[in-house]
Amino acid sequence: MATDQDLVIETVRGLLAKHEPFDPTPERRWDEGLWSALAENGLTGVGLPESAGGSGGDLADAVAIVRTLASGAGAVPVAEQLLVAGPAVVAAGLPLPPVDEPLTFGIADGVAASPSGDAWTLTGTATDVAWAGVAAHVALLATGPEGEVLALLPTADLPASGAVNLAGEPRGSLTLEGVPALVAPLTAAQVRELRAGFALARAVQLAAALEQVLAWTVQYAGERQQFGRALAKFQAIQMELAEMAGEVTAVTALTDAAVQALGHGDENFSLAAAAAKVRAGAAVEVVARLAHQVHGAIGFTQEHKLHHLTKRLWSWRDEAGSELVWSRVLAQGLLAEGPDGLWPALTRAV
Amino acid sequence: MSNPLTLAPAPRSEAAERVRGEVRDFLAEELAAGTFSTHVDTWLSGVDPEFSRKLGERGWLGMTWPKQYGGHERTAMERYAVTEELLAAGAPVAAHWIADRQSGPNLLQYGTEKQRQEILPRIARGECYFVIGMSEPDSGSDLASIRTKATRNEAGDFVVNGAKVWTSNAHVSHYGIVLVRTSPVDTTNRHAGMSQLLIDLSLPGITINPIRILDGGHHFNEVVFEDVVVPGDMLLGEEGNGWHQVTAELAFERSGPERFLSTYPLMAEFARRVAASGDPAGLVALGRLSARVLALRQMSLRIAAALDRGELPNIPAALVKDVGTTFEADVIEEVRRVVDVLPSLDSPDPLARALAEAQLHQPGFTLRGGTNEILRGIVARGLGLR
Repeated sequence: MATDQDLVIETVRGLLAKHEPFDPTPERRWDEGLWSALAENGLTGVGLPESAGGSGGDLADAVAIVRTLASGAGAVPVAEQLLVAGPAVVAAGLPLPPVDEPLTFGIADGVAASPSGDAWTLTGTATDVAWAGVAAHVALLATGPEGEVLALLPTADLPASGAVNLAGEPRGSLTLEGVPALVAPLTAAQVRELRAGFALARAVQLAAALEQVLAWTVQYAGERQQFGRALAKFQAIQMELAEMAGEVTAVTALTDAAVQALGHGDENFSLAAAAAKVRAGAAVEVVARLAHQVHGAIGFTQEHKLHHLTKRLWSWRDEAGSELVWSRVLAQGLLAEGPDGLWPALTRAV
Repeated sequence: MSNPLTLAPAPRSEAAERVRGEVRDFLAEELAAGTFSTHVDTWLSGVDPEFSRKLGERGWLGMTWPKQYGGHERTAMERYAVTEELLAAGAPVAAHWIADRQSGPNLLQYGTEKQRQEILPRIARGECYFVIGMSEPDSGSDLASIRTKATRNEAGDFVVNGAKVWTSNAHVSHYGIVLVRTSPVDTTNRHAGMSQLLIDLSLPGITINPIRILDGGHHFNEVVFEDVVVPGDMLLGEEGNGWHQVTAELAFERSGPERFLSTYPLMAEFARRVAASGDPAGLVALGRLSARVLALRQMSLRIAAALDRGELPNIPAALVKDVGTTFEADVIEEVRRVVDVLPSLDSPDPLARALAEAQLHQPGFTLRGGTNEILRGIVARGLGLR
């Protein structure tokens, strides 16, 4: 297993180059070929311990893979597997499914986990499950008799609704009626970190896609000629691109810091992740709006590649908790030590 | 594709966290003793030489400079922690701010040995203050159009004529580092022919006239030079190299926490209000503002780390200032959207006071040190657009 991040990124880019982004349809809901290629290269187990069946490597490697796939609009559940469900399953002491089979994650407050003898069953509906109907296994944050639990189950035989997000990525519901699952209880801190980890995974994807949208827009402005010169030569366009760059740089700086906090096991990790998700989500409005504005009408069509990322940006910002949800969590966390505690809390958060 | 303006993440610094704690304890003691009260934008308006001297005594000025010049040979990351704590507390740091941030490093780079030995230790003690003499009545964003002129006399001294404006706190400062024309305008290279002079503000022929800002405060001045004789050895750096010298120092000027914390005292009052009321909309607004502060801290820390590596990241610094000063102004509107409060400079309500101070200082945030339009032009260059 390569641990050098540049090599990892180069490998993923090489695979992506053979798998153009596409608009998912009911017939082709994900990029199975891309997934297989990633799995064959050992990239779907990166950051997960070899002792549990993963490919080893560290968090930074896994993040590099997720970033590269996000910027290439790869339609595969890698962020869920490498950054959320995989680590959660391992941490909870549950057996990690084979890493060449896609594993996804869902927050399922409406699913009750009930013990029966040594086994557990799940009943209820898990909504907005990323890659429902595509993933082979799902880890659900469900409600147990004494608090929240992590439930792991195969999904092959489960009916999934065909709901999708704005980019066509599967976000269906799983209806469970006494379905057996492996279940591990979670502490309140574990639940908080799991939710934050999910938010951070989306923030990492957002950061990468925002960077790519900026790069595409800079490139387009340099190529597109109007009034006898490139768009990039107009001050009005330069101001817009600079504003985009400010947003993108802010998101990258904070998201990287939150990933670092996760890697260090910081106790304030959940606040760092909350802030990263809020900041990344807030940048989407500016960056997507200005990217489309600079691209003009061609960017508003399915013929041009821009929509593959802007539609994901508009979806991901509301997934795993929107800015509304996480800004409240962030503020409450920062004020936990009292009305005068904001500044010390800010300097501790990341 | 990675963004060309993104710098490497800052490493964690235990030394910075240690000195942060010391500064925090000092500020708590001073606040309790009533030696200062919290205000918005105190790096412009909070002149308190006594406070500056206390910081000097504790080794918190000239922190990164060599010990032989009164400095403390600490890292930019440690200096970052000190300055950010002072700003967050709304402490009166204006007297020494420019000297410590900018003029000192400028002298270290370009000053003569004599200038360094005489002046730097005084800055580090919090006793010697500086102004930046760049803008003129007819030269704002177009700095290369300055007209203040210095000509050599027979003795080899400079004779300076002209006027500089927006010189913050010139009336309490000792020196100015003044950008002047030492050669006539070269139409083929308008950045040529300028030089930096180190000028003692007590010299004959210098008149300092107050220019009041919107809240009536006297921070800005017009500094008029009429046949001011400046000794020839007060040339800073090379004659004709002034443009390069002023643009080279911009990473120091544009990347620090003062570019996003000028209205932090308003945000802190807002947080107290939200903590008391528990208003859900207030919590959301506070969370959104906090996420922006946290991102800006990381951006600014990356610049501090780059300075510690010996780099001069001027373009990323311009970006920090653009994003940061936009944020400083946005704090006002975010607060107003969720709290019903009348801004008033003499209100007993600290939130009303902070809001009033922030509002009346707000137009300056996105002007001083390079307007945001100029900054975005620099960023556009960094993106390869021009």
